[in-house]
Amino acid sequence: MIYSSLLFIYGFLPVSMLIYHLSPKKSQPAVMLGLSAAFSAMIGLRYLAFVSIYVLINYASTRLIGHYRSKKEISLPVFSFAVFCDLISLFVFRTDLFSEVRLSLGFPETFFPIGISFLALSAIGMLVDVYSGKIEAERNIILFSLYMIFFPRLIMGPILRYNSFRKAMEGRKTDLSEIGVGLTIFVKGLAKKIIAADTLYQLYTAAHSTSLKEMSSLTAWLGMIAYVMCLYFTLSGFADMGTGVSYCFGIKMPQSFNYPLFSTKIRYFAARWHIQLIQWMRRYVTKPLFSRFSNNVLRRLIYIGVWGLFGFWYTFSANGLIWGLLLGAGITLENKLSSAKLLNVTGIIYTFFAVMICFVFFSGESLSYSLRYIGVMAGGGANFADTFSLYLLKSYIVVLLIGMYASTDLFKNMMMRSGKNKVRTAVSVISPVMVLSLLIVCTALISYSGSSEMILVRL
Amino acid sequence: MTKLSSRVTAVLVLAFMAFFMLFTFFGKKENTSENENRPLAGRPGFSLSAVADGITASQLCTYTADHFAMRGVWIKLNAAIRAEVGEGIINGVYIADDMLLDAKASDRARADESIRALNSFAESYNGAIYVVAVPTSSGVYREKLPEQFDTYRESQQISDIYDKLNRKIKRIDAYNILKMLNKNYIYYRSDNKWTSYGAYCVYRTVIQRLGFMPTTYDKYSVHHATSDFRGDLYNRSQYDGIRPDIIDFYSCSGGAEIVSCTGYYNSGKTVEKHIYDEKLLDMDYMYNAYLGEEVPLLKITTTVKNERKLLVIKDDYADCFIPFLTQHYSEIDVVSPELIEGRISDHIRFSDYEQVLFLFGIENLSKPDILSTLS
Repeated sequence: MIYSSLLFIYGFLPVSMLIYHLSPKKSQPAVMLGLSAAFSAMIGLRYLAFVSIYVLINYASTRLIGHYRSKKEISLPVFSFAVFCDLISLFVFRTDLFSEVRLSLGFPETFFPIGISFLALSAIGMLVDVYSGKIEAERNIILFSLYMIFFPRLIMGPILRYNSFRKAMEGRKTDLSEIGVGLTIFVKGLAKKIIAADTLYQLYTAAHSTSLKEMSSLTAWLGMIAYVMCLYFTLSGFADMGTGVSYCFGIKMPQSFNYPLFSTKIRYFAARWHIQLIQWMRRYVTKPLFSRFSNNVLRRLIYIGVWGLFGFWYTFSANGLIWGLLLGAGITLENKLSSAKLLNVTGIIYTFFAVMICFVFFSGESLSYSLRYIGVMAGGGANFADTFSLYLLKSYIVVLLIGMYASTDLFKNMMMRSGKNKVRTAVSVISPVMVLSLLIVCTALISYSGSSEMILVRL
Repeated sequence: MTKLSSRVTAVLVLAFMAFFMLFTFFGKKENTSENENRPLAGRPGFSLSAVADGITASQLCTYTADHFAMRGVWIKLNAAIRAEVGEGIINGVYIADDMLLDAKASDRARADESIRALNSFAESYNGAIYVVAVPTSSGVYREKLPEQFDTYRESQQISDIYDKLNRKIKRIDAYNILKMLNKNYIYYRSDNKWTSYGAYCVYRTVIQRLGFMPTTYDKYSVHHATSDFRGDLYNRSQYDGIRPDIIDFYSCSGGAEIVSCTGYYNSGKTVEKHIYDEKLLDMDYMYNAYLGEEVPLLKITTTVKNERKLLVIKDDYADCFIPFLTQHYSEIDVVSPELIEGRISDHIRFSDYEQVLFLFGIENLSKPDILSTLS
């Protein structure tokens, strides 16, 4: 089951909210854990077994590390073992390198543990924090498990530090207006996924149905813009849906994306894309390395390398690695040259171009394919535009323009600047109607098949 | 957003969700969808392995979708939105200017199994074998499809099959005949299949190859049985913006008449049928008016006095085609290979016929087990 399905929206979500709000406050964490287990079980009992074992191993490890913190000869091997387990599980399930291991463990070939990438990072972050003494090991297994597999976080939820999660849990407050905010965010995410991402995915596949030899430059550009926006709307859509659902349970989670696509600098793009992930990388990889090496050149290389690692995490292939390295190098270069003042508009355009080029490597089949693709985009294609590209442009221009508007912060800014005047009142009045209409449109769009499963990258 | 507006949102959305949840799970359940002409998903069964792999949950997901409250209204709304947004593709159906086309025609597998079955049949059978692979509307009107849905052309699909057939088998090119005539109403606007007129145009060539002179068009009187036919592409897309289709019945004045038309079920039970059955126009799927609802074996005898027998092995493309053949044969036996139990040879003797005609839509020929009952 996935958030963008009728069964979730008109079955699991209302029922679980009802159960949660009827149960006494003290037992709510247990109820949430039970609901999360039910959610996992609906993905498959095998999946539930997998995450349970995963949680137990990490729980036992953090407890051991916490208990023997002063005795390095015990805590260090446990720590290394647990981190190794988390990392190797990523390679076992996200690459084909260990398909035999996977089969011998009894997992069918098609098995993919959804959210494994987020699970592993959460677990590693916690292990590091406990080992270095920044936090105490959590004794309460219910809270620990909830931190790992709380169902609104399971698919693509934000990675939180354990402390932030504890704080959010303790400070949870559910009244009707919180639920209203939550449902608004949820429906926004749903619309991002079902209306924007799914339509743009069609454009992406349509553009990529022609071979590179016959592709015109315009088709190549349309295909790439569609890919980047589809990826953005998919990732941020799922993150929004998760955040929205957690609001309905009174838990406030931070937003994962802050309108990155149309930033005025590559640096700003990088700071607004998958924010918690980038913070994770900074906290657990960049900083420890920086503290060892003070050489400036070396530090820059480390910085770029960590970006490569970040990209690698997305795809577990060279594609993501190259994407990350390019972005890292781009930011480094930009910082070097940043004395030159750029206008906002030119800044947006150059950032957009740079980001597009990076994503060609992210999406391509191989390095040589990506290079040839850039060639076509640069005008080396069969021609600049042909009837097919004009047909695609005509069919999708409205979706593209709306998508572009929705991926900027123009609307949000308008709301911020308008203070307490009429615009704000009008939006408040329209907002409930808008949310309901979007929900109706999304429901209609998935009414035939019952769900919208396209994910683009499996994380 | 103010607190009040958030509260209103919460109440509105929760009420909406609760309403549809209650009506979906406690409302009355239908077994079939009349509009879509298909059975709806049944309640999922439970088994440990199915639950372990999440199959039960995904069945539950389909079940929810199939029995969602006011499903009919929802999918009409879906069609209306998708027609406006993007390229206008609904559930694999492309909305062209004046007709619906199957957008997945290029995704078909190669018909290797069918080719093998036909070739091994040709080895064992001594009479004459004729094969007609009929294109779908997506093939004949392929210029109306956007490029990306036209990657494996039907003309290519058909010649890929014809090229690999045993030399004993006589192939009849329906594609070019239909392509040439595509200004006429030879295909339904809302279905993959040809109309009676399309079938007639191909019949003229086929019957010459079978050794007869075709009956000229002026000998027929055409009766518009209905102008409300909605075909399979409509059922899939539920898009209302295309005019419904016309179903025509052809009767040959002064020609041969039908003596009997008997359907045989696998159990041996028989049923009397009609070449054109006007009563079935009131049912969900009007196309069944041609030859009635499909049976494994159908035997048609006519007043033609030449003692010639023809065996037709076919899919539903042939249903509107076979009436034209009745002017030439004393007996025509029609086999639907997908419905027959066991082998075809358990039900008839191939040596009773001098001629066998295989007539299939290209979409069905590429199904791997369509001819598995042949040998």
